[in-house]
Amino acid sequence: MANIITVDHLSFEYNEKTPVFKDLSMAVKAGEWLAVIGQNGSGKSTLAKLIDGLLEFDTGTITVGGLILNYENLAAIRDQIGIVFQNPDNQFVGATVEEDVAFGLENRQVPREQMVKLVEKNLKLVNMWNFKDRIPASLSGGQKQRVAIAGILAVEPQIIILDEATSMLDPLGRQDIIQLIRQLKAERNLTVISITHDINEAALADRVLLLNQGEVVEETTPAQIFEETDKLTHYGLDTPFVVQLAQRLRDQNIPIPKQYMDEKELIQWLQTYNSTK
Amino acid sequence: MAANIQFDQVSYTYQAGSPEAHEALSDVSLTISADSYTAIIGHTGSGKSTLIQHINALLKPTNGTVTVGDFTIDNQTTNKNLRPLRKQVGMVFQFPEKQLFEETVIKDIMFGPKNYGASDEEALQAGLKAMDLVGLPQKYQDTAPLDLSGGQMRRVAIAGVLAMQPEILILDEPTAGLDPRGHDEIMQLVQQLHEQQHMTIVVVTHQMDDVIQAADQVVVMSAGTVQKVGTPAQIFSDKKWVKQMQLTLPTSTAFAAKLKAAGFPLMDVPLGLDQLTMAITQTLRGDSHE
Repeated sequence: MANIITVDHLSFEYNEKTPVFKDLSMAVKAGEWLAVIGQNGSGKSTLAKLIDGLLEFDTGTITVGGLILNYENLAAIRDQIGIVFQNPDNQFVGATVEEDVAFGLENRQVPREQMVKLVEKNLKLVNMWNFKDRIPASLSGGQKQRVAIAGILAVEPQIIILDEATSMLDPLGRQDIIQLIRQLKAERNLTVISITHDINEAALADRVLLLNQGEVVEETTPAQIFEETDKLTHYGLDTPFVVQLAQRLRDQNIPIPKQYMDEKELIQWLQTYNSTK
Repeated sequence: MAANIQFDQVSYTYQAGSPEAHEALSDVSLTISADSYTAIIGHTGSGKSTLIQHINALLKPTNGTVTVGDFTIDNQTTNKNLRPLRKQVGMVFQFPEKQLFEETVIKDIMFGPKNYGASDEEALQAGLKAMDLVGLPQKYQDTAPLDLSGGQMRRVAIAGVLAMQPEILILDEPTAGLDPRGHDEIMQLVQQLHEQQHMTIVVVTHQMDDVIQAADQVVVMSAGTVQKVGTPAQIFSDKKWVKQMQLTLPTSTAFAAKLKAAGFPLMDVPLGLDQLTMAITQTLRGDSHE
């Protein structure tokens, strides 16, 4: 897989007192789901803002879809990237659901007739078409995030960045948004970067990047990193529930193999072990 | 003497009398005993936040009465004379760190006591004590709140409430948006305030794993009414009902349900990792009584 985003020797600080990145290099492959994990203050969200050109970095290079991030390419790069932010209330710009989704298209001066079609199509895609005349105050957090996603999809980016996009939602809203993104990723061959400290959300990724104090500590698969429970704890992250359970059962002398099993695999293993014991 | 909280046939209508009128609470009767740790759960829009805002009279019932110790709040209650009540009932809103505004940590924490008439010295002492309670080292007292981490900022906000020395502490989703370490810290803090300071705790939460760990009473809300009050074990034993309430099961309980569905015999409804480990081990060792 080719890289759709590369970050090379990046340095960035908010001010002299708080350097975020000193020399960061990383890459995102086209079509992958990359989870960026790390505790608050590790630089996760700053990275997303740098990639989208919302913050200006000091030294280094970022390329997105073959374009070097600079003033000339900024608009073209932003067209390729959609970011869903943490707080559903901070990204609702329209007076109604329909207007909110149209906002990005208006900015790009899409002809009205086409705009109307695109708004309808994308609101239907996220199951919010029936809410098109509603005002934001009458929507749940999850519904607002759906609308934000429709607005992003309407301009057809190749990359979607979820910046803690589910952390303010209730558990059902959370499941719902993740399910939606999985489906959209499959249908549209999107690249997804999910910035999260929800370890169960990270489990869905193809690859996990662990950041700590602006440095890449580890870049690996979820299965690999979930076995390193000490490391996760050390960097202030949770251990997935199934890993904790497997460890407890091993402590009780249940011979569960050492490698990572997801929930289905663990249930399967327990079931088989029980019926053959 | 700590106070019981009593809701007696409470209804609340937002924008009553207007075409936009919306009944958010409907005929709620509920007792929250002094010294209890009560979790209020229910899907978004079920009335949880409306309910807790009645406890310190930020909202007053459209019908019915709320009593907190000696105070009675009904639709005749005016904003006069509410100070003692609001001092007694500390309210930590969602994302309370957004309300930090002073230039130093200690000034922010002292704001409440001063506002309630404490002298500078009294407010400072109350502030330092509150910092101690939330586990913020005194070296932070002159730090700007915005230079702290998310978990620390939230501690400052909670300290600001604790500086008023409330007997009842109400928290609306106190861990939302924190990383796992910050989440655990805040949950431990609340537990400590409950056990060591004997505060009555009322927590609104979406985190069922926190509910089973900490609460001794769970109130389930839906469509503005109280659907059930019980212990965590009573609440989560009926999987279908929980789903109907649009709630999720605690992680361990959900795992047990899937394991059972796959044909693995399990006793009981395990709440928490310890109970689940024990239940699975029992089955595998063959001393299950299925």
